[in-house]
Amino acid sequence: MAEKVLLIDDEMEFLDTLSERMRLRGMNVNTAENAEAAVSAIDDSDYDAIVLDLQMPDMNGIEMLKVIRQSHPDMQVILLTGQATLEAGIEAMKLGAMDFMEKPANIDTLTDKIKKAQAKKMVIVEKKTEGKVKEILGSKGW
Amino acid sequence: MESSSMDNHESLRFFGKVSASVSHEIKNVFAVINESAGLLGDLSLMAEKGMPMDPERMKKVATSIQGQVQRGDCIIKNMNKLAHSTDEAALEVDLTQVVELAVALSTRMADMKQMRLSVGECAPAKVVVSPFKLIQLLHGATSLALDKMSSQATLAFSVAEGDDKATIILSVPGQGINLTCDEALEALAADMDATACSNKLDGTLELSFKRTV
Repeated sequence: MAEKVLLIDDEMEFLDTLSERMRLRGMNVNTAENAEAAVSAIDDSDYDAIVLDLQMPDMNGIEMLKVIRQSHPDMQVILLTGQATLEAGIEAMKLGAMDFMEKPANIDTLTDKIKKAQAKKMVIVEKKTEGKVKEILGSKGW
Repeated sequence: MESSSMDNHESLRFFGKVSASVSHEIKNVFAVINESAGLLGDLSLMAEKGMPMDPERMKKVATSIQGQVQRGDCIIKNMNKLAHSTDEAALEVDLTQVVELAVALSTRMADMKQMRLSVGECAPAKVVVSPFKLIQLLHGATSLALDKMSSQATLAFSVAEGDDKATIILSVPGQGINLTCDEALEALAADMDATACSNKLDGTLELSFKRTV
């Protein structure tokens, strides 16, 4: 199943080119160049992975990550940064980011991480579904 | 910490801030070039497998790479100018050129706050000053001004000439914002035998220097 990805970055050329490369690899990709567009995109659709730039003008990646984790806790977020400091990486992971990569990113490595994000999300969704089914069965005494 | 040590520390902090900003911008340039080059590779692989190549697409990617190289070159040139501004303790400088350099070095700081910097009318004023300290002063004044401004506003720079002085004026046209000065900025200006003060009449921030006769 094609991975559904939202790419968030304020550098338009980077966004356009990376999204094209990801589509050539069979992914279903949407893009957002600022926080407002990103929040709108996330509310409109369900993504397997969000690839998010750490430094953006209107809302930095950590703040955006907090917003996403609060509203869509199952969505897997991969942070991209020009400066992958250990502190920023630790903070991101503590806040629930799935992974953290430094720009320029290797597309094969990024693709692998996106596939893992999809798999992780599917496990979470399956567990939730299983839980709900058990609840329903339990309520009916089965 | 002694006063001169504090000054050195502040200078280092300024240089560190600008270096960090420049390195981040250069990383972004590399990121675009990396993806563009990667895309050329992807399209070539597809062509090898028999898919037709779109020459316009290839041209667009090549143009993007060239554009980013120019962008990177500009960023590095400005950083190099900042680095060389430390060569002399005092030098006769063209205020307009230094303002343009300081604006270029501060653009990312403004972009991250969704604000703009612009250079307006500049008189051809020359002053004898430490080029590095002047850039540091302008950067500090810019940072102070941006903290007062709201998103999408523009900070304008101009240079005016009087009989015995030349003044760099920072203003935010059409926003009703009064730019202020702080002790650190005043001290930095005083260290260069200049003055930094807010003009309460028109809300501008003025950095004044003795003109070279």
